[in-house]
Amino acid sequence: MSALLAVENVTMRFGGLVALDNITFFMEKGSVLAVIGPNGAGKSTLFNVVTGVYRPTAGRVKFDGVDITGMPTHEVVRRGVARTFQSSRLFRDLSVLDNVIVGMHTRASAGVLDVLFRPAVARRELATAVEKAEALLRESSGPLYEQRYRPAGTLAQADRRRLEIARALASQPKLILLDEPSAGMDDAETDALVADIERLRAQHPELSVILIEHDMRVVEAFPEHVMCIDYGRLIAGGRFEAVRANPHVQEAYLGTAAADA
Amino acid sequence: MNHPASRVVPRAAAAAATTILLQISGAAFVYAILSAEEGWQVVALLGLLGFGFYLLERLPWINDVVVALLARVPVVTTATAAVIVLGFPFLVGSNTYILHLLIVAQLYAVLALALNFQLGSANIPNFATGASYGIGAYVSALLAVNFNVSFWLTLPVAALAATLFGFVIGIPCMRTRDTYLALVTIAFAVVVHQLLNNFEWTGGPNGLVGIPAPTLFGHSFADPIEVFGWTLPSQANFYYLAAAVVIIAVITARRLHESHIGLAWNALRADEMAAKAQGINVAWYKVLAFAVDAFLAAFAGTIYAFYVSYISPDNFTFLVSVTIMTMVIVGGMDNIFGVIVGAFLLTILPEKLRAFSDYRLLIFGVIVIGFLMIRPEGLFPQRLRHYGVER
Ligand SMILES: Nc1ncnc2c1ncn2[C@@H]1O[C@H](COP(=O)(O)OP(=O)(O)OP(=O)(O)O)[C@@H](O)[C@H]1O
Ligand SMILES: [Mg+2]
Repeated sequence: MSALLAVENVTMRFGGLVALDNITFFMEKGSVLAVIGPNGAGKSTLFNVVTGVYRPTAGRVKFDGVDITGMPTHEVVRRGVARTFQSSRLFRDLSVLDNVIVGMHTRASAGVLDVLFRPAVARRELATAVEKAEALLRESSGPLYEQRYRPAGTLAQADRRRLEIARALASQPKLILLDEPSAGMDDAETDALVADIERLRAQHPELSVILIEHDMRVVEAFPEHVMCIDYGRLIAGGRFEAVRANPHVQEAYLGTAAADA
Repeated sequence: MNHPASRVVPRAAAAAATTILLQISGAAFVYAILSAEEGWQVVALLGLLGFGFYLLERLPWINDVVVALLARVPVVTTATAAVIVLGFPFLVGSNTYILHLLIVAQLYAVLALALNFQLGSANIPNFATGASYGIGAYVSALLAVNFNVSFWLTLPVAALAATLFGFVIGIPCMRTRDTYLALVTIAFAVVVHQLLNNFEWTGGPNGLVGIPAPTLFGHSFADPIEVFGWTLPSQANFYYLAAAVVIIAVITARRLHESHIGLAWNALRADEMAAKAQGINVAWYKVLAFAVDAFLAAFAGTIYAFYVSYISPDNFTFLVSVTIMTMVIVGGMDNIFGVIVGAFLLTILPEKLRAFSDYRLLIFGVIVIGFLMIRPEGLFPQRLRHYGVER
């Protein structure tokens, strides 16, 4: 009842392809949920359904007590859901700092008329946003603050992913969806990422996180709630150890990963 | 204290002197090209300009230094600009042709700034700015001719009418992008032109004649200006009026650019999906860009109508929109100063190339392409925003 996020019987079809097949799960405030599954399983599609990029073919999505099924993305974000993208989608020609400031868009209260006729009010609001954005960049494990006046498109891969997380946090979300945040990171960077997420949780105990991950070291770090999707179906859920031990999962995911390794 | 190392913070006195010198040289250049009579003079000045931009392209730090200088002493910069703009008609004297060119250039600067919200900030290829310009001109002219409404009242009414038009084009454009969006706006531009041509009450192809000159505190804009024993031709009235609207357009552009609205436009330009994921209502921001564009374009249209006192549909064809678009692209997308430079250059140039009679358009095309080759991102490309540097 009091779940922050409730995904109920969600099915997403693209023509004949069933990307999500009757998925149901609930998520409590302040928890971390790791989503695993082989390539093309439907993990990113799940994020797209939750954030209103796609309207599910069937089923409901409820967030914070409100039915958000098929709600426009910007409305969903306004209600407190932030996300990163698997293939990082920064505003490449804006500075690192501006990317984070854009992330605060839902926090800006000055309207067009304020901006035009009460410039002092608008400027003060922007100045506050700049300070908050700089603080967020300082907290990140990478050298983002030092590079805040660089075009985001020129950052190194790991910094891009960090910036995407900082930008998502800028809206002060209740739920943050991270789509393969460790992609393109080396081991040290991945460890720093895990530390970042842990620190974030300590600072904001109310914040909930859904992580899509292929890197089991990241998943292991957040072992309480793990679910595995395969061919759009939720084949296992529970603690990491249990999910890992599940024969369906081994067959579907760990088996292929092990074969790849 | 905490300035980024790359920023140059020069001393105030040196900055002030350089600022004044730079602006005076700029004005002198404009004056020189405006008063050049011979073909070779125009070519020489263009060569100089081309060389200047070549240097700027090779040595990008010059741009940074100049921007830092101007920002270091904003009051001096603004005051110098004000003196130059106010004083220019005195320099020009009774040469009404130059004044005419300057008026047209300033109106185009307003139009280019208007389009820049869309094309520059948000990458919305709107080919209907000329139509908004025409709607502004026609609404105010109709009000003045038929109902004797004063110029000053027609200005906001025309702007509101055009803004409404902006919303109307904006709505079908919310869900389209790129080429499709361009097509929708082209359709609107053509429809408006056709309607102006075919309606009875717009005067059809003959247009509207006898638009009365505005008056301000009993001074008619058809009369010369007399100040301190100087007499400026009547065009000076419209020169100053156009300058005032350019200033309004620049202030509007700056305030929007330096706010979360400008950032939201830039965000949806870079990546619409990512912009939505930051909570930006992309459809609304697109419509807003159309509305602001139309609002400013109508201001320019109103002044144009009262200035020439005769308008016809052919003043507001699809080609006008293409010209405005070229000004934004050549001047520099999302750069306020660049867009103004683009408008001036592309207004003055074709006039000055009259010396080459039949080859005029060909040479004009070659020059535009030449500038784009020297400065592929526009004469003054967009700059990253810097915050709190002169704190
Ligand atoms: N917009 C779309 N139109 C058609 N098919 C789509 C669309 N989006 C996703 N799919 C398909 O849905 C399936 C699930 O894709 P999704 O991106 O969700 O997988 P994933 O689990 O995130 O995989 P990966 O680990 O490779 O990121 C894939 O077969 C994909 O091709
Ligand atoms: Mg994916």
